[in-house]
Amino acid sequence: MVDFQMWLVRTFARATPVAAMMKTAWGWPAAESIHFIGLCVLVGAIFLFDLRLLGYARRIPIGALHRLIPWGLAGFALTAASGVPFVLTEPDQYVYNPSFHFKMLFMAAAGLNAAAFYVTSYRAATAPDAPADAPPLARIIAVLSLSLWIGVIIAGRLLTFYRPFPCGPEGPGFLAECLPNYYGDAPR
Amino acid sequence: MGPDATPALNAFFLWLEATALSTWVRESTSVFAFPAILSVHAIGMGLAAGVNVAMAVRLLGFAPNVPLHEMRRFAPVMWTGFWLNTASGLLLLLGYPTKALTNPVFYMKLSLIAIGMWLYVQMTKRLEEADPRLPPPDLNVRPTLIALASLASWAGAVTTGRLLAYTAKRILATW
Repeated sequence: MVDFQMWLVRTFARATPVAAMMKTAWGWPAAESIHFIGLCVLVGAIFLFDLRLLGYARRIPIGALHRLIPWGLAGFALTAASGVPFVLTEPDQYVYNPSFHFKMLFMAAAGLNAAAFYVTSYRAATAPDAPADAPPLARIIAVLSLSLWIGVIIAGRLLTFYRPFPCGPEGPGFLAECLPNYYGDAPR
Repeated sequence: MGPDATPALNAFFLWLEATALSTWVRESTSVFAFPAILSVHAIGMGLAAGVNVAMAVRLLGFAPNVPLHEMRRFAPVMWTGFWLNTASGLLLLLGYPTKALTNPVFYMKLSLIAIGMWLYVQMTKRLEEADPRLPPPDLNVRPTLIALASLASWAGAVTTGRLLAYTAKRILATW
């Protein structure tokens, strides 16, 4: 696993044009600002839709509010497009960061959870003659969606507090929380 | 109030930063101190700005089958985010008063939030005035300008908020 992480860091570190742009005075703060704006757009669509599935604002037809979801996807696209450059610029700060592992885990789970909604509940919940109350399974999916996205935001915000530090003599564990001496220079 | 704060103001910052709560926000190593306050601030931002985005895009004509009148139902979500951020923001300000209050960008952020909140009130008025009996699209004149200004002011508030970390000229009164 640590070998895989080292491979990731080396591979990402080759994306030099992105890193060069990110290392200009405005690169990093601009990407962060877009990342946070994307977060707001994502929450504005996904959270409101999840709340609707849970019975909030139930006079809005679920199918009608679903038309906000493309905005949620646009918000996600903004966060992804501005988020990937961080990892390409400072790969070791993320690949060895436990908070980043959790963030990716929560994000993958949120994606699978959204897929589960479309497979199991989308048709029944959004049909023109659908009842105002979403089916129980859709409600469970909505609770999971809200929890997972809040998890993504918290893990994202905590990234900076779980930055990896140089590994001691015991070396990195299964999921490294410290920076292995992958450049082959003298032990730090 | 530029980076050169008056001696009286500096004395105030010194006193504030020595209080127990300010020191706790800044120096506690617990994940439930500074990291948790920042997390709450990010979630509150998503809720407050997010509801504003949803209302603005609805007023711009997207999701036309959502009754305008019913979009008001999301107001409590907006206010939840707003108060979460007022509380967490005050704690952050208490932790680093010199850093925020000597930075012009901080006042830009607060102004943009004030404008955003004024536009929020304007948007909710339009939603309330929308006749619930009208079929969609249920407005004769779309408040396009208000909605676009709202999106711009929240994007500005988020951006200036993010830039605070890069534009601070002083961190603590003792520096």
